Amino acid sequence: MTTPLLQLHDLNVTYAVGDTDVPAVRGVDLTLAPGGTLGVAGESGSGKSTVAMSVLRLLPRTAKITGEILLDGEDVTAMKWGRLRAVRWAEASVVFQGAMHALNPVRKIGEQIAEPLRLHPPSGKALTDAEVDARVAELLTQVDLPPGRAGAYPHELSGGQKQRVMIAMALACSPRLIIADEPTTALDVIVQAQVLALLTRLVAEQRIGLIMISHDLSVLAATCERIAVMYDGQIVEEGPSTEVMGSPKHEHTRALAAAFPTVGDPVSRFAPATSTPLPPEPPDRVASGEPLLAAENLRVSFRDRTGKRIDAVAGVDLTVSRDEIVALVGQSGSGKTTLARTLLGLQKPDSGVVRYAGKPVPAGGAGRKAYRRQVQLVLQDPTSALNPAHTVYEAVAEGPRIHRLADERAVVHRALEAAELRPAEKYADRLPHQLSGGQRQRVVIAGALALEPSVVVADEPVASLDASVRGEILALLLRLRRELGLAALVITHDLGLAWNIADRVAVMYRGELVETGTVEQVLLDPQHEYTKSLLAALPGGTAQRRTVET
Amino acid sequence: MTTAETPRQIAWARRRASLARTWREFAAQRTALAGLVLLGATVLVALLLPLISDESGLNVTKATGQPLSPPTGEFWLGTDNFGRSVLLMTVWGTRISLLVGFSAALLSVVIGTLIGITAAHFGGWVSATLLRFTDFFLVLPSLILAIALSAVLPKGVGTIIVAIGLTAWPSTARLVRAQTLTIESRPYIERAHALGGGHLHVIGRHVLPGVMPLVLANTTLVVGNAVIADATLSFLGVGDPNSVTWGLVLESALNNGAISRGAWWNVLPPGIAIVLVVLFFTLVGRGLETVFNPRLKK
Repeated sequence: MTTPLLQLHDLNVTYAVGDTDVPAVRGVDLTLAPGGTLGVAGESGSGKSTVAMSVLRLLPRTAKITGEILLDGEDVTAMKWGRLRAVRWAEASVVFQGAMHALNPVRKIGEQIAEPLRLHPPSGKALTDAEVDARVAELLTQVDLPPGRAGAYPHELSGGQKQRVMIAMALACSPRLIIADEPTTALDVIVQAQVLALLTRLVAEQRIGLIMISHDLSVLAATCERIAVMYDGQIVEEGPSTEVMGSPKHEHTRALAAAFPTVGDPVSRFAPATSTPLPPEPPDRVASGEPLLAAENLRVSFRDRTGKRIDAVAGVDLTVSRDEIVALVGQSGSGKTTLARTLLGLQKPDSGVVRYAGKPVPAGGAGRKAYRRQVQLVLQDPTSALNPAHTVYEAVAEGPRIHRLADERAVVHRALEAAELRPAEKYADRLPHQLSGGQRQRVVIAGALALEPSVVVADEPVASLDASVRGEILALLLRLRRELGLAALVITHDLGLAWNIADRVAVMYRGELVETGTVEQVLLDPQHEYTKSLLAALPGGTAQRRTVET
Repeated sequence: MTTAETPRQIAWARRRASLARTWREFAAQRTALAGLVLLGATVLVALLLPLISDESGLNVTKATGQPLSPPTGEFWLGTDNFGRSVLLMTVWGTRISLLVGFSAALLSVVIGTLIGITAAHFGGWVSATLLRFTDFFLVLPSLILAIALSAVLPKGVGTIIVAIGLTAWPSTARLVRAQTLTIESRPYIERAHALGGGHLHVIGRHVLPGVMPLVLANTTLVVGNAVIADATLSFLGVGDPNSVTWGLVLESALNNGAISRGAWWNVLPPGIAIVLVVLFFTLVGRGLETVFNPRLKK
């Protein structure tokens, strides 16, 4: 029997906050065989990152670790500083979360990849510059980057390329274990698929053990042999990926799995993961009503630093009707946010018109202000979309005060209740930092609802939220449509979201709408190449999706 | 309704709580607290002076002492060349110095805040024009400008206030502009626009409350500078000749040969008074800055 590469035995980590100890990890046991791959799933605050970082003791001073962490049979918690330094990177390395910020912006990527090589020379004696350069070139080739890019600065690379550089850094000293902390968060679907494929290939080729942390079960299932699901500092379920994905036992695993629905699965159509049942579809629903909000041949362009013209939105026609949810899908940089801002009148179009109920939207004055009451915005990150100094009441009352609505208090309470913050009094005098992410997003939605709009434009409304909250917010949008007939334009990079709640999908690519149609048409029978590649990039599909592809 | 409190009451309760928190953070800094206590005492003395001392001692014709007498039991800090008590003059000088300091700082901070917020909020050519205007005042030696202004305008305390106020605002404008830009880049400003909020709404509800703490901290520092500028202008003889100020005491000490005769007691008391008052303001200002500016924490 071989010694496991990594063995965690009864691991407990507590953080000292003020005078009290807050447990982050409680009694975790994990084993990873050499060359094995293990995914750790969980929501933010479940302790998954703490577990991963404890392996290299990369935790803040306030953390207290008890239990055993055996790396190759050697207890990490008992290591002296010098030994720990040698183990870091040479034996186990980390692909950090958020490649955007984990690279030094003022140093060339080649130098940054070389840094661990110079600190931990593989043969024990310092490498010559030529040897380092050769190794850096080799590493860049391994992660599918041309070796010539070694002289590039991080800002000259795309998000996916930066993540590749991070992986190259982790591989530099040929470690036996790589810990990847949310390696694909904030990456586009297609780039995510590429990075995952790369990581899987390298790990298999070089027999490296991999621990991957993610909140997205399907990402883990696509990469790892085994999955452990963490909840509240404990491992609630562990097993082979197919089992955990296919027949989850713990209810939290089921919630995580349901939060990322499979496109094409009829069970999750119009059924976002929520604990409160949805109202049934009104029987008299008319499929296609009058277009409420319409863009006609809309064009918006910016000039970059060199003065070159960039067409962010290049001739878009889009309509949103009453009682309809339209999903605008595309990767970052496709111009979908610019399109939304233009529809809201926050950005001036170069040409084309935005019509509301058939009439062009006025450019200013009282007409514009009246238009604002009809079309409202929900932003991506609720934390920054709320003024930290304003209470929930003030944030929701902001719109009614601007428009001088009568009986402000009743309006605010109605809006809070409609956004499912019940009872409204309980939340009214809280500050944003006293709320959870999902509650904050509800406050933003309530702020929009307070004006009783007929269309809501939601820009990635769930992208910064936890998996379980995600379903609740989507259910809220669907419920508002069914109960109030509220139309919504939901901007997203997530096809599963469209499948969950939308009636129609518009796919945006490089400023143009390449495909528009009902959800079933576009997602089950894609016509355009780009839509096909988006669907193909989704990690871990079900049988149903594969039948569509073949 | 289960709660009898109206949102307004809740808002006030919260404001009180936040004020208490600010006070705790401020009071935790011993130097800042000491500065505040000493500053408070100084202001109190300046306000109560007419009750506790006799102004007539400042009148040259009613002076009782010998000219340039060194410190004695009767005149603790000696007398000037007219036989007036230097202690009395120094204490009375506090009134004018503080008056000029506060008023000039207020004037310059109001101008600076207005220009800073306007430049940052509207951007484009408005910003460009205002910033070039600010740069112009920034590169111009403010003392020379102040001298020119007070030479042209009729002599008096008001002129000194205007002269200092009109020359000290550019640094405030720069600070406020930078802070406004960071606030306006936050998504909640976009949300306010989408809700239909106009310029006044965004500035009044989001920007102004956001920059006020920094402005307040800046004001206390500007007061110190204004006190120095006031003393300088008086010393250079462009101030109000009828009011007793620290600068004027220093000027007369120089012009009437007190310094050449070695009468140190005519120079040191007003000089030390200037240093102390500026020090108090700086201590308080630094303390406020530490509380309000998140970048200075830890």
